[in-house]
Amino acid sequence: MAEERVETTGRARSGARFDWLDRSLVGLCLGSLVVVVAGGLAQARFGSFDMTVSQAFWAVFNPDVVLNAQTWRAFLLGPDFPVLGAELPEMNRRSLIVWNIRIPRVVVGLLVGANLAVSGAIFQAVTRNELASPFILGVSSGAGLLILLTLVVFSGLATFLPLIAAVGGALAFLLVYAIAWQNGTSPVRLVLAGVIIGTVFQSLQTALFFFADDIGVVQTAIAWTTGSLTSVDWEQVRMALPWTVLATGLALLGARQLNVLLLGEETAQSLGMDVERVRFGLSGVAVLAAAASIAVAGIVGFVGLIVPHVVRNVVGSDYRALMVGCLFAGPALVVAADVGARLGMLAITGSLGQLPVGIVTGLLGGPYFLYLMRKQGQIGEF
Amino acid sequence: MTGNTDTVTDARHETASDDATEKPEDDAPTFRGDDLVVGYPGTDEPVIDEESVVAAPGEVTALVGPNGSGKSTLLKGLADQVDRDAGTVLLDGEDVDDIGTKALARSVGLLSQENVAPDSLTVRELVEHGRYPHRGFFDGLTESDLSAIDRAIDLAGVDHLQDREIGQLSGGQKQLVWIAMVLAQETGVLLLDEPTTFLDLHHQLQVLDVLETLRAEGETTIVVVLHDIQQAARFADYIVALEDGSVYDWGPPGDVLTEQLLADVFRVDAVVEHEPLRVSPRRALDDGSD
Repeated sequence: MAEERVETTGRARSGARFDWLDRSLVGLCLGSLVVVVAGGLAQARFGSFDMTVSQAFWAVFNPDVVLNAQTWRAFLLGPDFPVLGAELPEMNRRSLIVWNIRIPRVVVGLLVGANLAVSGAIFQAVTRNELASPFILGVSSGAGLLILLTLVVFSGLATFLPLIAAVGGALAFLLVYAIAWQNGTSPVRLVLAGVIIGTVFQSLQTALFFFADDIGVVQTAIAWTTGSLTSVDWEQVRMALPWTVLATGLALLGARQLNVLLLGEETAQSLGMDVERVRFGLSGVAVLAAAASIAVAGIVGFVGLIVPHVVRNVVGSDYRALMVGCLFAGPALVVAADVGARLGMLAITGSLGQLPVGIVTGLLGGPYFLYLMRKQGQIGEF
Repeated sequence: MTGNTDTVTDARHETASDDATEKPEDDAPTFRGDDLVVGYPGTDEPVIDEESVVAAPGEVTALVGPNGSGKSTLLKGLADQVDRDAGTVLLDGEDVDDIGTKALARSVGLLSQENVAPDSLTVRELVEHGRYPHRGFFDGLTESDLSAIDRAIDLAGVDHLQDREIGQLSGGQKQLVWIAMVLAQETGVLLLDEPTTFLDLHHQLQVLDVLETLRAEGETTIVVVLHDIQQAARFADYIVALEDGSVYDWGPPGDVLTEQLLADVFRVDAVVEHEPLRVSPRRALDDGSD
């Protein structure tokens, strides 16, 4: 008995910090990584400028590009960045196409996926609601409304659309929080306020469509409100990357707080947590992540709802593992869906038309989610 | 009542005087609520109206009373879980409002009546959460955290369940695990809201055994809401009987539990025998008189 005790203690001690890092999580991360790499290579190879597999491979892994500090400074900091910024160096035509047009799109997809998955995971814990997504507290409807307002009414501000969309989402979230606040909030009041605000803003947004005078504006609006990665480049990477790093970093640090929140408000409070402050802070992190993704890709639906469920199904509900899993599985879904969005029409009809990625995440993620739901009776439970 | 408490405390000091001088921090804290007014938002009348409760240091005080008499509300008021409209709660003489949330959670532990946890959480992981108030934002588990967790698991008798998932446990096992979590908090004051309700007999007794152990150690001041008057008679040092938000009577079980009290407070006709104390309810009294 005494020996047994020592052994249990020893095991707990050796892994106290990373005991959640188990085989299922590592498997999930590796699987997601394979999907991302395969998706990335497909995106690099196919398109209107066609190449063979080996041409694409060498265009991607061109040592002159990959090992050149100047290219990375040009990609990640841009030409206008003080001191460290740089112009893109010379490179061959294939590398230029791959690295300047096709790869940034994969990278933006990666960031969007990570942000949305983490954001959804946080909102599911904060609202203790399995149906929560990054957009449950009014974020998408606020962003959508301001997108439409900008495009239809204040078209002069269209250059600031990414920023305006993100700000719209954050403002709607604050409005929802203020409405739900009565000496503190509760998950139910938050979700209800979110749904109501969402409905009102959605109506306004739909009404604005009637004032759009040409089809181009409507198409732009639809691309923004369903989420699209068409024609993104390194500028979008530069825009989203710092916020993504910040938001996901804070989310990882907040994982233990989320675990305690899952025990219910009363327990969390009796354990000495300042529940309101933690809830607001973590919601803020989730909104930041969602806003970063909205700014570069518009409102990509579904990712933030299903990825946390899929990951939870594999690794369990420990948020330390769940967050890490989301950081891999989210990008995998968006990158895979974007392959379909960009190349699907080409494969099916031979035309060069592209779909908004948000449509494909639903088409790809929905059936997979239903499959999981049928196979695992427990999906959707914490 | 106060005099009584003092003698008990003094007696304990005498028998363990060496220990007491060596480790004064082992002394169970005093814990009392003075003139508490507790209600819920949206209701006009407070549930508890200007009542005071003193928890005997190192002993078990049971709150008893019929449904809706305000036992749980009083406990939540003591635990600082609902906003008090008036009155103060004093921990070792200090107003709990002056103590930070996290610091308070290191001194006062509360087990709520209903608890939820993710099914896939393991028992040990849940008990680990009891260390929350002792850990900083970035801290991992320290040696003292780990030994507190081991001790709590041991004390609650759930060693054999350590690696099981919460979803696989029975209601009684879950309750013991939750008790282990509160014990891991290592608080001097322990507040338990109906810890035995809804459990089968075996698990009820297991829960009460844990209370017995803590009482024998004499380092924890315990306030427990009990539904079962018989259990209160057997396991509590003091009983506070509540009727409709007011304290009807309080004192040692032998003094408080009378046939009159059972008729007035619980509205049952019962026979009370002394040595050993035994309450045998016979029939419910008419509700019509009210």
